Amino acid sequence: MNVNKPSVSQHDAHRRQAYDEPLWWGLFSAGGVCFAVIMPAVILFIAVLLPLGLLPAEALSYERASGLLFSIPGLLFIGAAVCLPLFHAAHRLRHGLFDLSLGNDTLNKKVMYGLAALLSLLALGMVVAGMLN
Amino acid sequence: MSTDHLQTNHFQTKHISVKRYLPDSSAEPYWQQYELPVDDSTSLLDALNHIKEQLDSTLSYRWSCRMAICGSCGVMVNGIPKLGCKTFLRDYEGEIRIEPLSHFPVQRDLVVDMEIFLEHLAAVKPYLIDDNPVKPYDPKAPETYQQSPEQLARYKQFANCINCGLCYSACPQFGLNPEFLGPAALTLAHRYNLDSRDHGTKQRMTELNRHEGVWSCTFVGFCSKVCPKHVDPAAAVNQSKVESAKHTLIALFKG
Repeated sequence: MNVNKPSVSQHDAHRRQAYDEPLWWGLFSAGGVCFAVIMPAVILFIAVLLPLGLLPAEALSYERASGLLFSIPGLLFIGAAVCLPLFHAAHRLRHGLFDLSLGNDTLNKKVMYGLAALLSLLALGMVVAGMLN
Repeated sequence: MSTDHLQTNHFQTKHISVKRYLPDSSAEPYWQQYELPVDDSTSLLDALNHIKEQLDSTLSYRWSCRMAICGSCGVMVNGIPKLGCKTFLRDYEGEIRIEPLSHFPVQRDLVVDMEIFLEHLAAVKPYLIDDNPVKPYDPKAPETYQQSPEQLARYKQFANCINCGLCYSACPQFGLNPEFLGPAALTLAHRYNLDSRDHGTKQRMTELNRHEGVWSCTFVGFCSKVCPKHVDPAAAVNQSKVESAKHTLIALFKG
């Protein structure tokens, strides 16, 4: 048992608490839930009911759709349907890269979550810009 | 094969290939094939015992209870971690390849060194931690250690682990990083965290909330698939992630 006792400093390094991982995982699980709950409804309305003509024609007319999107609920919708799933995907990809031993995790983390954050800002920024117009 | 038609008088010959490793005579492992008579009731452990007793006494493997409770006879069967005593040769056609459990250092033939697994188990303090100042036998003691069936049900499934180590052989993350506490140890920690008599969650949290704790798990779920006692370690680890995230959040606000 005494053979490979790590030194004290090494031991402490091992006990280091994970501070960022809970955050990434929180975004990952929130993204998964949002995607699973919201996307089927979106597909049902926009890709099934609307083309089949089962919704009134003016339900998603340009004026109505932009009115819905460029509002606070629209902003929240984009956050839940685009931003959180982006972080979900980034987390999956990062861990996939780790599993395949590709790249190094510190860099992968920055690239993946950085991309997710950038695209999220872009999406939210466009909604905000539309609201201000 | 359906269990309705099991026969014990219907012998046939099967081939088993065992990955041998005898460090005294050869530095490299090699495959050795054995041919033995089996019937529908022959377990893999029976087959290994037959080889040891009748064919080749140099074969080494671990076993004890032969009824899936001691957790000693874990091996890889065609690449899948299994208990030898719970695996029946009637379910296998063609060649059967037996290897020592993956991700552990091999000592000899099918015997692996489980030291690191035991260290991970010990690290999560898998016992009741009681900070009640009043001990049992004290006349002032409250009715300690009582537990309702509902309180028992919360952790009962996670208490069925037999420490066979199959989940560690199934876990790709443990394969990549042996410092990862791994499915069984994290499940046992969760089992005690869920126990109403326990007050050790805070102490265990420092172990769980590390990169080598719950956060190395990527929810592959193979651990739960290979578990011979249906403990479902993947569920336990991912429930622990929620607890760990809450713990981090609370620690953040407390400063």
